[in-house]
Amino acid sequence: MKLNTEFMRETFIASLGGVPKTMLITILTLLVSIPIAFAMALSKLENKKVSSKFVTAYVSFIRGTPIVLQILFIYSLLPSTLNHLIKDVFGLSVNVFKMNKIVYAIIVFSLNNIAVLTELFRSALGTVGHGQMEAAMTVGLTKRQAYRRIIIPQALVAALPNLCNTVIGLIKNTSLAFLMAVQEITAISKMKAAAGYYYIEAYLMIALIYIIVCTVVQLLFALIEHQLSAYKKRLAV
Amino acid sequence: MHPFHPSYVFTVLVQLFPYIGVTLLMMLGTVIFGGAIGILLAKAKIKRRIVPRAIAEVYTYLTRCVPSIIMLFIVYYGVPALLLQFGININNFSKGVFVITAFSILFASNLGEVFRAAYLAVDPGQREAAVCSGLSEFQAFYRIILPQAAVHALPNFSNMLVNLMKEGALAYSIGLIDVMGEGNLLIGRNQGSYTLETYLGMAIIYWALTFVIELIFGRLEKNLSKGKKHATSVA
Repeated sequence: MKLNTEFMRETFIASLGGVPKTMLITILTLLVSIPIAFAMALSKLENKKVSSKFVTAYVSFIRGTPIVLQILFIYSLLPSTLNHLIKDVFGLSVNVFKMNKIVYAIIVFSLNNIAVLTELFRSALGTVGHGQMEAAMTVGLTKRQAYRRIIIPQALVAALPNLCNTVIGLIKNTSLAFLMAVQEITAISKMKAAAGYYYIEAYLMIALIYIIVCTVVQLLFALIEHQLSAYKKRLAV
Repeated sequence: MHPFHPSYVFTVLVQLFPYIGVTLLMMLGTVIFGGAIGILLAKAKIKRRIVPRAIAEVYTYLTRCVPSIIMLFIVYYGVPALLLQFGININNFSKGVFVITAFSILFASNLGEVFRAAYLAVDPGQREAAVCSGLSEFQAFYRIILPQAAVHALPNFSNMLVNLMKEGALAYSIGLIDVMGEGNLLIGRNQGSYTLETYLGMAIIYWALTFVIELIFGRLEKNLSKGKKHATSVA
């Protein structure tokens, strides 16, 4: 088997142009889903009757179905629903079908990621002992202050390794955004591959790019973890 | 908007039901072949000999970073071309072979981690006691460690199975006719009408499968760890 190295080099450089888009989808998805997931995790922890049942059903459904299916489902449902809402209910004249496709990608990945992050936050908050909250309340902090200053900083350190896995999973999932006609890493190389029938070369290059991106993300998380867990070392000394 | 026909969801469920077998077979094949590689990986990581361990770590790292769909395409286009060099033509093989190959490569690292964690969860004293009482190294593993490690592995294994099933839905992109593939064909045959109903039907099938997997493994864990609870409560 002879690989076309010239084509591989070209595709690699062209596909690198898709990295910013992949990262944009990843970061915006995280920004949207982290606050919602946190609120959902809290409602589940505090056992509010209605919302906790809703959260359980939502998490179970999202984690029980393939993400391709979620993408196809929402991508076929959302545009016409939005169009209906905007045109007939609000009476605005916005052309939904001309909207940037990246918006749909962010909506789909957020819906998926919220379920994953809810579970993650719930277990992370669970690792912080009950006594911490009680002690904070005794000192006279309000519940909000206690969460912000005592509970969350500790839970964050516990959540980081899992959060790193989640972000890597999210980056891998964005490779499916080509189903929504978003021009990210996979879509660009796929197009180049189809033009010259150099499929193997193109897919090997995509794999290489994902490996590089994931390595950078993991290094970043290792750095953050090192910084945030500094307080533990001070305690040990 | 298209009108929504809830009754068509049931039609979809009935039509897609036979294809659950394909999805399950794909999972079984992956667990068998991926499990074989996974055992080697777990062994290499536990034994701590430098070269095998480094290979296992690099393998785990690389496969963790590659999206399933990319691996699927690399195998689908790459393996036939590679084998053709040696005069072996597998272009007319069933799509299932490529799917199982791709997912075995990917999930071997997950399975390896499951096995390793389960093995390490068993107290080393168990092996030492077994060897002391005259069992051979293999007997100690087979009779003492394996039954205990299997119970520890169950929750992670069930998680991995659910993940495998969900990622397995991607196999439709190289043309495997499983639940996802047949659902897409169904949409094509209906010329795009009943799209939402079909997707909903597929989602219900996958959701139900997840539910069943988790139920079975939950029961299994409860049953198998019975003796353990008894032992600790007596002591």
